[in-house]
Amino acid sequence: MREVWNEYTPGEFYDELMSTQQQPHLFSFKLVEHLQSMKKKTFARRVRESEIEMRERGITFTVYSDAGNIDRAWPFDIIPRVIPKSEWDSIEMGLKQRNIALNKFIQDIYNDGQIIKDGIIPEEVVMQSKGYRTACKGITPAHGVWANICGSDLVRDDNGVMYVLEDNLRVPSGVAYMLENRKTTKRVLPEIFALHNVRPVSDYPAHLERMLASLRPDLDNPTIVLLTPGVYNSAYYEHAFLAQQAGFVLLEGQDLVVGKDDFVYMKTIHGLERVDVIYRRIDDDFIDPEVFREDSTLGVPGIMRAWKAGKVAIANAPGCGVADDKVIYAYVPEMIRYYLNEEPILPNVPTRLCRNKNELEYVLEHLAELVVKPANESGGYGMLVGPHASTEQLEAFRNVLLANPTNYIAQPTLKLSVTPTNCDQDGIAARHVDLRPFILSGSKTYVTPGGLTRVALVKGSLVVNSSQGGGSKDTWIVDDVTGNEGDA
Amino acid sequence: MLSRVGERIYWMARYLERVEDIARLINVHTVLLMDLPEQDEINWFTLIKIFNNEAAYLEQFEHVDEKNIMSFLVADLTNPSSLINVLSQARENARTSLDVLPEEAWEQINELSLMVKASLSAIGNRRRRQNMLLKIMERCQCISGIIDNHMSRNFAYDFTQIGKHIERADMTSRILEMTSLLASDTRGEQVRLHEGILWANLLKALSAQQMYLYEKRTSVSADKALDFLITDRSFPRSLCFSLAIISNYFNYLPDPSEPIALQEQILKNLSAYNPSIIPAADAHIFMDAFQVRLAELHQIVSDKWFHPDFATI
Repeated sequence: MREVWNEYTPGEFYDELMSTQQQPHLFSFKLVEHLQSMKKKTFARRVRESEIEMRERGITFTVYSDAGNIDRAWPFDIIPRVIPKSEWDSIEMGLKQRNIALNKFIQDIYNDGQIIKDGIIPEEVVMQSKGYRTACKGITPAHGVWANICGSDLVRDDNGVMYVLEDNLRVPSGVAYMLENRKTTKRVLPEIFALHNVRPVSDYPAHLERMLASLRPDLDNPTIVLLTPGVYNSAYYEHAFLAQQAGFVLLEGQDLVVGKDDFVYMKTIHGLERVDVIYRRIDDDFIDPEVFREDSTLGVPGIMRAWKAGKVAIANAPGCGVADDKVIYAYVPEMIRYYLNEEPILPNVPTRLCRNKNELEYVLEHLAELVVKPANESGGYGMLVGPHASTEQLEAFRNVLLANPTNYIAQPTLKLSVTPTNCDQDGIAARHVDLRPFILSGSKTYVTPGGLTRVALVKGSLVVNSSQGGGSKDTWIVDDVTGNEGDA
Repeated sequence: MLSRVGERIYWMARYLERVEDIARLINVHTVLLMDLPEQDEINWFTLIKIFNNEAAYLEQFEHVDEKNIMSFLVADLTNPSSLINVLSQARENARTSLDVLPEEAWEQINELSLMVKASLSAIGNRRRRQNMLLKIMERCQCISGIIDNHMSRNFAYDFTQIGKHIERADMTSRILEMTSLLASDTRGEQVRLHEGILWANLLKALSAQQMYLYEKRTSVSADKALDFLITDRSFPRSLCFSLAIISNYFNYLPDPSEPIALQEQILKNLSAYNPSIIPAADAHIFMDAFQVRLAELHQIVSDKWFHPDFATI
């Protein structure tokens, strides 16, 4: 299908697989060569097989709509995204560094508040974060780590630099899809694994289990459960998948009860049994109706009491969402310098804080060029993409900003990198991608080799969220290839 | 094991068995009516009667005919006991028990559900429908095989077996009830002439004909067929077999004395079945009573292991 690839063009963007319009990078050369040499028919059959595979294995995500909740097959593009190991090694170091600093920050603000006293971050910035929980003051979780599972979003600009776009510290999802994508690639394109040395990802569930077990250093073999809001949650498939793969008990709030002894128990056919570690996939707000939202039926009354008494470990720790805030994000490079005395390895996207008067003025002047985001939304909601907005939308957003500037940040519109993607009508076409690696922190820190690559399937679109027309790709970390080997 | 997961896996197994047995039931009924001299549409209504679904059916359809009855039994989304709804219940229970269920079992259940959805249009055509039903039975057997070969003998497995056998006993008794009703039809002078065919077809539907012949070494009669399907201890679709084997699994579970007491009572009652006292045409009354006892057994299982009073510590 060389003729299809001949029409490929990355345009003005950095391309993850191609170094020029027609020439692949050295590290992706063999993969691209192989795909180009496939017959059009063969390729189409593999695409179909991947769709059937996803459907039959029941890999779905839930889309909420007025017409009811629909289970959609997980959208998957069979052309992998490739990152050379040399680059990845530095990304991995950068992610670890960032994660350690973020955890030190959370530990600090719920205890001594030294970073505030030293004037690095204003107190009101911490307090405005929706994830701040007074109930967590004075607590130190195991190893001083609050965000045990983190899914950071990375994006690459046209200069080829990888930036951290956001740190998802609350209940990040997507890791099951990373694993399923790899499994599907192995099934429908088995021959391509002979071309490159691809770092495996399948041991993630084992790393997750070891990390969670490390949260109870006092116990040899702690009972670990995964607390899900239930089958109506959009990530339920992932909850069930992880429980199955890592050997956790998958349960809901109604299956747990907190005893007068402050231990957490699950309701089994043998009566009540103790639970030692809870991997919760429920937001703080819903976790304990005694402390947070009283109307929550998803959580467990008394669970905060049990956690504070040290009778159960909860991952991620309640209150860790304080650092998952786009205003606080702007301060992460400072945090790294402050706590670790190091320069950040991975840069932030240059960010303007609308709470600062002169920066707000700049933002208002350049609204049409910028991306403006609220501090506390996820999934791409509530934000303004200046270059794609109409005059009316810009005007409306200007008023929103003026009314509540402290809640917003602004960033330049990045020229997100692209990668060859199978698009029904457009053949093989360039589509924008991001990358979500997962970082586990307990007694040790682990980063998934690669992560989940999300791709905006709509031409020109920058929105990669699966709920809004995004797809996904298998992500390869491969050995570097020198010029000589490439010729061989 | 969590009580809630026990309950879900129990229901998953019941619904899977029910899917297979609905397919068997419709399949046997279709074959049977082809052998009967008068293809009276009223005979199709027996299928509705044995699920006690007369009112729900008549609310929706004016006419009693094969086509309507098939859409009601197989494809009707408003009928909670239609095959498609039972299957989606099985799938939903499997989907919420993925941590205790072999991955392949879930994949097969999911595939079965995709297959049935894709072939619903076939139910109007007798030949295509029969093919579809056979495929459903095959897939169910496949799922059952995966559970048997991939699952450790743990509590989750125990609940799949308890669920499967309670459901199987219930459905087999309904199939027996249906046959008995057909045989007792007052207009059925002709039917009685073909009694041998009726009961032979029944055995076939339950994949029991060969084992019956092997065991009884004689041609099929109503009394012997009933005796075999009710009291035989070695054939895995007989009522006594199901009731007897359930106690093995009860015994692995904590504090099983109450369920076992009732199970023993029901088994004793079944074993005492005597075709010379209860004629085939009256067997449906015996079956009705048996179904009531089975429902009691389910209730005890549910109260004991799924919804006990959790004394707080």
